[in-house]
Amino acid sequence: MIELNNLSISINSKLILNNIDLNIESCKWICLVGPNGAGKSSLLKVLLGSLEYSGSAKENGIEIFRNSKRSVAYVPQNPEIPLGMRVFEYVALGAGKSNRWGKVESRLIYEALERTEIYGLQKRLLTEISGGEFQRVLLSRIFLQNADLILLDEPTSALDLHQQISVLSKIEDLKVAGKTIVSTMHDLTLAAMYADEIVILKDGSILKTGRADEIVHATELKQAFNNQINVYTLDSGNTVIFPERN
Amino acid sequence: MKIRVRLALISLIVLLLTLLISINVGPIKINSFNYGNLDQLHRTILLDIRIPRALLALIVGSALATSGAVYQTVFRNPLADPYLLGAAAGAGLGATIALTNSSSDISALLPIFAFAGAISAVFISFLISGKFFAEPSTLLLSGIAIGSFATAVQTFLQQRHSNSLRPVYSWILGELTAASWSTVKWAGLYVGLALTVLFTIRAKLDVLLLSDEEALSLGVNANQLRVIALAAATFATATAVSASGLIGFVGIVVPHLVKGITHQVTNKNLPYIAMTGASFLILADLGARTLLSPAELPIGVLTAFIGAPFFIGILRRRRLGAK
Repeated sequence: MIELNNLSISINSKLILNNIDLNIESCKWICLVGPNGAGKSSLLKVLLGSLEYSGSAKENGIEIFRNSKRSVAYVPQNPEIPLGMRVFEYVALGAGKSNRWGKVESRLIYEALERTEIYGLQKRLLTEISGGEFQRVLLSRIFLQNADLILLDEPTSALDLHQQISVLSKIEDLKVAGKTIVSTMHDLTLAAMYADEIVILKDGSILKTGRADEIVHATELKQAFNNQINVYTLDSGNTVIFPERN
Repeated sequence: MKIRVRLALISLIVLLLTLLISINVGPIKINSFNYGNLDQLHRTILLDIRIPRALLALIVGSALATSGAVYQTVFRNPLADPYLLGAAAGAGLGATIALTNSSSDISALLPIFAFAGAISAVFISFLISGKFFAEPSTLLLSGIAIGSFATAVQTFLQQRHSNSLRPVYSWILGELTAASWSTVKWAGLYVGLALTVLFTIRAKLDVLLLSDEEALSLGVNANQLRVIALAAATFATATAVSASGLIGFVGIVVPHLVKGITHQVTNKNLPYIAMTGASFLILADLGARTLLSPAELPIGVLTAFIGAPFFIGILRRRRLGAK
């Protein structure tokens, strides 16, 4: 359980997050949506503990900022890709801390690679594989890290539709396994499809939070995108969200 | 496990072999296995010249190779070398101050001056880059600025004291000729300490190849680790530079050699990189002593001869790889 109370961040006197109050329940998938510059990535970094804030952000009653004892995994939108490094070595980094930086059992790394169906890529260079394959490599690292809280900044931004669904299903597996997921997502249709809860952010403030199936119909969602989106419900009950053409 | 055992064995055997060859080969033939039957002169050559010289090459080679690998990790740049933050230029300036100051005999204190110069140059680079823990790229740029400044001052001093040009020049080219047991002792102690620190943190160092946020989530305080790693690597480099002058390219060639052979970039291989660096420099020194025998080639010239084409090779491979 994570509780954010009256949390604000300003960088160079610019307000990045403004009076955020938010509770994140365990074993749920929470999706942060909103236009560029709304503060989604900053909020993820707060949850990671790397960004200083005023107000409070507590995980199970303990302040988050620079608390090294937490169990949290994080993937930025554009991760550094170490030159010359191979998939196997990269995934192994996930288990460093839990192994006290000793030797990581190869079996565990193979298992993590298998779970994202990239066993065959283990000897490939990170610079040689496709964007979709790299997302899976990242997921393997997360599987191996086995953290309780998983923070993902735009996990599907560089992927084609098929890859998006496949990666999101893997993330859903993590949730089913008892992990808490907080992700940002530009694609509102996919956010509505996978997340349990959606948080709408704009200009550093939360416009609304709620269950995904309810929030897609909220006026605040349209408001966040300057009324330039349309929401349709299909016969199947699924919701699709399109941008409006000018 | 298997690959690590093999690596450890191979690098150790190569190191021992190069050590043996190096103390037996030279302008005067000496068979160290026949030590009991050697006369006093040969024993002196062996004990007071060849062995300390080979050991100094071992110490300097392992220091430069390990520091090079660590710098490449910290700066996330495969072409970074241990002289990047101004250590070389600082040491050069320190040494020049010592050598051009003809009023007293402070040239004996050359190692101390070079060491102080290297450490201060890197420290000033840190200070200038803003926060002490600043972004690696800012640090790199301030290192370049400090390096150019120190080189400019050094050139100025050399111009004013042209009579001492030669010793400064030969020091800049790198030399192991002055190896003595006392140099071996202090350099060994300092480099030993620095490498112990680096070997202890070596597994964590890999995480510095990722973003600081990812490092945090993987349980590593990137700023803290960077400072420890750079301090230890710079200490080793400064010691190497003050003991033997500027020997270039070891810090680039050797880590890439090990990476090329193992197909791994992990810093877990630091001990093997250190041993390979030691073997590399012992061999380079052997070449420097014997190729133009009885004259000596500056060892820095030899390592640059091997290193520069190698460097270009890496550059080209990187460019092709980036396509």
